Amino acid sequence: MMGQFVFRNLFHRPLRTLIGVVAIAVEVTLVIVVVGLTSGMLQETAKRIEGIGADIMVQAPSAQIFIVMSGSPMPIKIGEKIHDLKYVQYVSPAFLQFNTSGGVETIWGIDPASFRDVSNGFVFHEGHDLQGRDDMLVDDWQARAKHVKLGDTYTLLNHDWKVVGIVEHGKAGRIFVPITTLQELVGGRDKATIFLVRCTRPEHTPDVIGEIKELLPNYPVRPVKEFMTLMTSTNIPALQTFINSMIALAVSIGLLVIFLSMYTTVLERTRDIGVLKSLGASKFLIIRALLAETTLLCLLGIFTGIGLSYVVRAGFLKLFPTLSILITAGWILRAALIAIVGALIGASYPAWQASRKDAVEALSYD
Amino acid sequence: MAITVTIRTNSTGNAEPELKTLEPILKVENVWKLYHAGKVEVPALRGVNFEVLPGESVAVMGPSGCGKSSLLYVIGGLAKASRGKVLVDGNDLVAMSDAERTKLRRHKIGFVFQRFNLLPALSAKGNIAIAQYIHGDGFDPHRFEVVTKMLGLDGRLEHRPSEMSGGEQQRVAIARAIINEPKILLADEPTGNLDTKNSEIVLEMLRRLNKDLGQTIVMITHNPEATTYFDRVVHMRDGVIVDGVPAD
Repeated sequence: MMGQFVFRNLFHRPLRTLIGVVAIAVEVTLVIVVVGLTSGMLQETAKRIEGIGADIMVQAPSAQIFIVMSGSPMPIKIGEKIHDLKYVQYVSPAFLQFNTSGGVETIWGIDPASFRDVSNGFVFHEGHDLQGRDDMLVDDWQARAKHVKLGDTYTLLNHDWKVVGIVEHGKAGRIFVPITTLQELVGGRDKATIFLVRCTRPEHTPDVIGEIKELLPNYPVRPVKEFMTLMTSTNIPALQTFINSMIALAVSIGLLVIFLSMYTTVLERTRDIGVLKSLGASKFLIIRALLAETTLLCLLGIFTGIGLSYVVRAGFLKLFPTLSILITAGWILRAALIAIVGALIGASYPAWQASRKDAVEALSYD
Repeated sequence: MAITVTIRTNSTGNAEPELKTLEPILKVENVWKLYHAGKVEVPALRGVNFEVLPGESVAVMGPSGCGKSSLLYVIGGLAKASRGKVLVDGNDLVAMSDAERTKLRRHKIGFVFQRFNLLPALSAKGNIAIAQYIHGDGFDPHRFEVVTKMLGLDGRLEHRPSEMSGGEQQRVAIARAIINEPKILLADEPTGNLDTKNSEIVLEMLRRLNKDLGQTIVMITHNPEATTYFDRVVHMRDGVIVDGVPAD
């Protein structure tokens, strides 16, 4: 009977219910998509770093692990010192530039010869490796997303580049240019953002890491194989703060809308509450009925939100094919729990207020 | 003033008559109800004394503002008397907590209101069944069928209040009020929103409930014609009962 009562009440005011469902759905979608977007970007970046084939990555002391946004260059000569260490076979510097004009992308300035040594080279779909100072390579995803063809001119950083090769995706970045040209364009002559190191044998990696740490104290030195596990939002404080802020925003939306919705519901149903009291309904029963209604509303919003997340992801991927949005069962569950807890908090005050209503006043309410 | 009513009954297989004492199901002793308008105390009831016997039907009449509704709410435990005693089936409502009065209401009192007060989201069946749910014994299909048939609600049970006439809504409200076999049925102007024909139907049903099922009823009304359906009429004025108190 209580189920029927709650269900019928929920659909007695369809517009109110719809607004509540949409608010919860937006909340859930926001959490799932924001987390999915950041996790997807991190995972996709980590995969591409791992895909290079290097054994070790060295960064500047203040650099973030999320290298695509890193802006901490080191003197390029450090590479020579690393190269002199025992068990080091190849060292390749890379200069990374984060670009937001005309899209969000990281431009990889590489030294073609040493990068080829470290990574065993690119797999070319078309064209050839970097040769001229204005040459550019793009991976197949980027080419598809930006409708770039071999021989096209690609303008980035107010500079016209010539696309000389389209390579298989999954190695480092999506756009590659000569390191010297990029250094000149952004005023980073003789600087490198990272050094990619290849050992003579993979099992020498720990020894080489130890040596580099001794040579360059305070410089983050990481085995590339562990990069995937390290690339989480918790290792990137600013990103974690961003995610937390977005979750807080999402929860606030849900909480406030549910609060308002249930508050007006209680006002609208003042007389009904009086009737329930006249029938002998306890305070607990009235609270339970309103919280059950909120939970049902929330469940509808959660299911809608999950569906909406996939729709939003599909839309994003259509607009920005190089994006990666990772929707996981774990975060769907967490988003659902966040929505339910937020909604119940939002509904608890109106429910408590309803339970305390004076029966006589409630019955004479117009 | 304590009142004891004695009646003669014949016990089966016994030629000698025996005396049986009926205790009042409702006893109101020197009850005051004060409302506060700012710092001013406004008395709605000023020492009401009143008793109802089991199986009795009593109509309470009086002008607007004389305290009839306040008396009904105090008797039904919806409002707490400021002073005095309200004994329902031996339980003093004035000494009870809000939760205890709620429980008593659930088990011993049924309400019928002037404005029907049906839950708009529920069907007629749902409105009646929710009272059974709150009562705690769950849905009793037999009792449900008896009550709805008696009130002529067959065929209207799946309709919502907005799809029913005033008379039908009030019959649903009566069904809801008596579905749990309350000790006392309290009716607050039950015909106040009905036309003459529907008023007569509702009053006749209340009379049948009283005569056929022995349901104790206390009804508030403005309508002198309505009182003819009841055993006893009590008049109120300025927060006190001015007549109709049974004699010692």
